Amino acid sequence: MSSNSQPTLNTDFCGMTFNSPIVLLSGCVGFGEEYTRVNGFSNRDVGAVCLKGTTQDARLGNQPHRVYETPQGMLNAIGLQNPGVDHVVNQILPNLDFTETRFIANVSGSSVEEYYEVTRRFDDSPIDAIEINISCPNVKEGGVAFGNDPVMSARVVETCRKATDKPLITKLSPNQTDIASNAKGCIEAGSDAFSVINTLMGMAIDIESRMPIIGNNQGGLSGPAIKPVALLKVHQVYQVCKTHQIPIIGQGGITTAEDALEFIIAGASAVGIGTALFYDPLVCKSINTGITDYLKSHQLSSVDQLVGTLQMNQSQPSKCGC
Amino acid sequence: MTKPHHNSVFLEEAEIISHQAFDGDQFIMRLLAPHCAAKAKPGSFVHLTCDPQLPMRRPISIMRSSYNEGWIELLYKRVGRGTTLLAQRQRGEKISILGPIGTPFKATPGQSRPLLIGGGVGMPPMIFLAESMRQESDKQPFVILGSEVPFPFKPTPSKILIPGIPEGVIASMPLLDDWGIGNRLASQQEFSGCFQGYVTELAQLWFRNLDRETRSQVEIFACGPHPMLEAVAAMASEWQVPCQVSLEEFMACGIGGCAGCVVEVQTADGPAMKRVCVDGPVFEAASVFN
Repeated sequence: MSSNSQPTLNTDFCGMTFNSPIVLLSGCVGFGEEYTRVNGFSNRDVGAVCLKGTTQDARLGNQPHRVYETPQGMLNAIGLQNPGVDHVVNQILPNLDFTETRFIANVSGSSVEEYYEVTRRFDDSPIDAIEINISCPNVKEGGVAFGNDPVMSARVVETCRKATDKPLITKLSPNQTDIASNAKGCIEAGSDAFSVINTLMGMAIDIESRMPIIGNNQGGLSGPAIKPVALLKVHQVYQVCKTHQIPIIGQGGITTAEDALEFIIAGASAVGIGTALFYDPLVCKSINTGITDYLKSHQLSSVDQLVGTLQMNQSQPSKCGC
Repeated sequence: MTKPHHNSVFLEEAEIISHQAFDGDQFIMRLLAPHCAAKAKPGSFVHLTCDPQLPMRRPISIMRSSYNEGWIELLYKRVGRGTTLLAQRQRGEKISILGPIGTPFKATPGQSRPLLIGGGVGMPPMIFLAESMRQESDKQPFVILGSEVPFPFKPTPSKILIPGIPEGVIASMPLLDDWGIGNRLASQQEFSGCFQGYVTELAQLWFRNLDRETRSQVEIFACGPHPMLEAVAAMASEWQVPCQVSLEEFMACGIGGCAGCVVEVQTADGPAMKRVCVDGPVFEAASVFN
């Protein structure tokens, strides 16, 4: 790259052209339009927007409180509140501006059959790709119960694969013993890509009432607090993905361009932004600028050249981390 | 594909113009935020960064705004980590605010006798709403403010006579009185000139003094603690008058993206979870309390 040329943020992800490596994460931006309330915000600043988790029928979700601040993070337990797939496909998708960015559906269910049906409905829609959420920690059935079981994970992916030819992105849970092994099973079942990671399960307690603060008792922890965990999981999943050329959307606590670059170096082709938006709704602009500056200063012409370029230390860390 | 809600909320680095502490851990902060000030309506709130070290913003109601001078004013109480850090912020410092946010109060044309009830840190939207009614000659609002800690202003004897209010209940908020808006103060505490009791007990005395025709012109607006709002909603139901309430809930995005701040409401299609941030914070009382 010549010193004068501007590096590109454009990246190919499962055959889709992302105009930035940033993906806005499911559950953080409603059904794609909510943040356009903010003056200066544009979906054009991101490569893709993941819509809110969608099930076959409408769900009311969990009782309040649904969110709570924790040290360098927050707990949430929304409970997949959504209007059902028919409403999303018929009422919401027609109002999205597909010239701005790529829109990715997020599919959830309490049975394998429901995952199939919701995926099938999205297959017959303008949606660009489908994210399979087998890692939601906030519902009693399905969700993380599937995601923590490698056999069930693969079964859900295999079933969704039968329902669509669109890119399938499997969202993996950090709340499992061997995430890389699960990823391998999902690749064999037909997953085209991964989102790594969903939230970590956690709790907060009101010491006066001696009750959990979150209405659902437990919730998913997000924000900077989980970044080191997410980074390691991306690194682990990338070891499986790189031989299959399966891309990863790295996510978990990214708030700055430097955070995003760490995930890309660890093996992520794209980076998810969620909780950081709550603090700074215009954070994507500064992350794009920061990534561009980094590429330029390191004489790289695109993000792709940086993906998975992590150089490990010679001495291997012990697995216990002690 | 521009839609009405597009670009309606502004992210501003707002300079603290003044920051005053009052008894009872209460603070009034005036911020220079011209974009927010230009669009704020009674019931609007800002989602602000109390301190850069906190990962989440805090929603705080707007008490007043000046379009011409570009400021907004907030009243808050120091109750947790966020507001403790906010209370330490000094004049001249800048605070990141996101606002104005929310569906505001909407006065019904023809309801000429608005009753505004604010409790504790629920007072600000009522003061904002009262100010907005100054210019409406067909409205004759009455404001009841309640607090269990000293009011964040110096109560003064009201110059405005309110029929039905017991003799001796004369304490008022001077700002409202200066605007010519009848108002009285209530508290369980023995504050001089205040009605000793609940805001709803004082409101009941006012209601009973109205004739049937005048009563049909009443519309209630309220903001305050949940039990107070529940009592206000019951009173509205008893007198069969419309009532809007402003709610609060823990909030993450404040922009409608995360559905973290919902409240269960009854709709024509059955129960629904509505977002306090953008579907509210103002809701029909009957849809929330039933």
